[in-house]
Amino acid sequence: MRISSRTIGRMDGTSFREYLNGELAARQRKNRRYSLRAFAAFLESDHSTLSQILRGRRRVPLNRIRSWGKKLGMGQEEIAWFVAAESVPNRAAALKQEALQEWAAEGAGIATQAVHWQILRLSQTPEFRADCRWIAKQIDAPVDEVNLALSRLLRLRLLEMKASNQWADTTGLQPLTERDFRTLALARVRESATEKQTSPCAKASPEAR
Amino acid sequence: MTNPVLQFQILSKTPDETAKFYSSLFGWSVDANNPMGFRKIDTGSKEGIQGGIWPAPPQSPNFVQLFMGVDDVRASVQKAEGLGAKLLIPPTVLPEGDEMAVLLDPQGMSFAVWRRAKK
Repeated sequence: MRISSRTIGRMDGTSFREYLNGELAARQRKNRRYSLRAFAAFLESDHSTLSQILRGRRRVPLNRIRSWGKKLGMGQEEIAWFVAAESVPNRAAALKQEALQEWAAEGAGIATQAVHWQILRLSQTPEFRADCRWIAKQIDAPVDEVNLALSRLLRLRLLEMKASNQWADTTGLQPLTERDFRTLALARVRESATEKQTSPCAKASPEAR
Repeated sequence: MTNPVLQFQILSKTPDETAKFYSSLFGWSVDANNPMGFRKIDTGSKEGIQGGIWPAPPQSPNFVQLFMGVDDVRASVQKAEGLGAKLLIPPTVLPEGDEMAVLLDPQGMSFAVWRRAKK
């Protein structure tokens, strides 16, 4: 089986198409008159469908990978690998999924945990202490929950830690009600998730987080 | 100024279990008695760097972040952004006076720039 390094590097639903293109090209090198129609006939497919697949206009159905793989002399392991590679969502779909997951997870934190709003509220009081252990005690929450919320508030630009004992609410909400805070924070989560889908970092890496 | 790696940070969904695992495996001591409640790791060695454990956000897997020492956090953020990084957490002064910012490099890996408080 001919699998180029280029093919192996692209496990996003394009690898079997590249393999087919490579196979057709190899057959045409051996026989200049070998046509797309001949290749389609060999695969027992119509040439129009095959042409669209080769040009990336449509994905290869998994049952075609199995049947064409056999005709092309592949073993079960090779066919299974191509089926797996074809099943991997393409980059755009994966990014969208990732952004949705972030939206859901960050949003769940905001929507279900009052700790975010409570940190901001406490930061406005005269007795405030920039100490997560103190905050945790005041709101009766574990320190880890406070720290997760603190990270989220900073990421969403809802809080600034300007000096060692000076934390500033940057929501702009006056008064700072829990309901208005939740609405604003959820909007920021949505903006952040949308931006992540389109940012150069997200495009560059599957592990942007 | 050089920019050494000053610290590693393990972001874990189960920080207590992570602390227990590495303490048992390597004999590291972990102490969260500080204003951030940050589980500071002391490897007990003068070689290498020290680190810490922080809770990981629910949408991400567990991962490790490196903290690079800088003279000026804001200037470093600006330079990193000019090179294609994305700012995650803007310059932030921690309760003990250290200043840090967290970024994503152009390949999407997060790292922090950190200026230790002058003592």
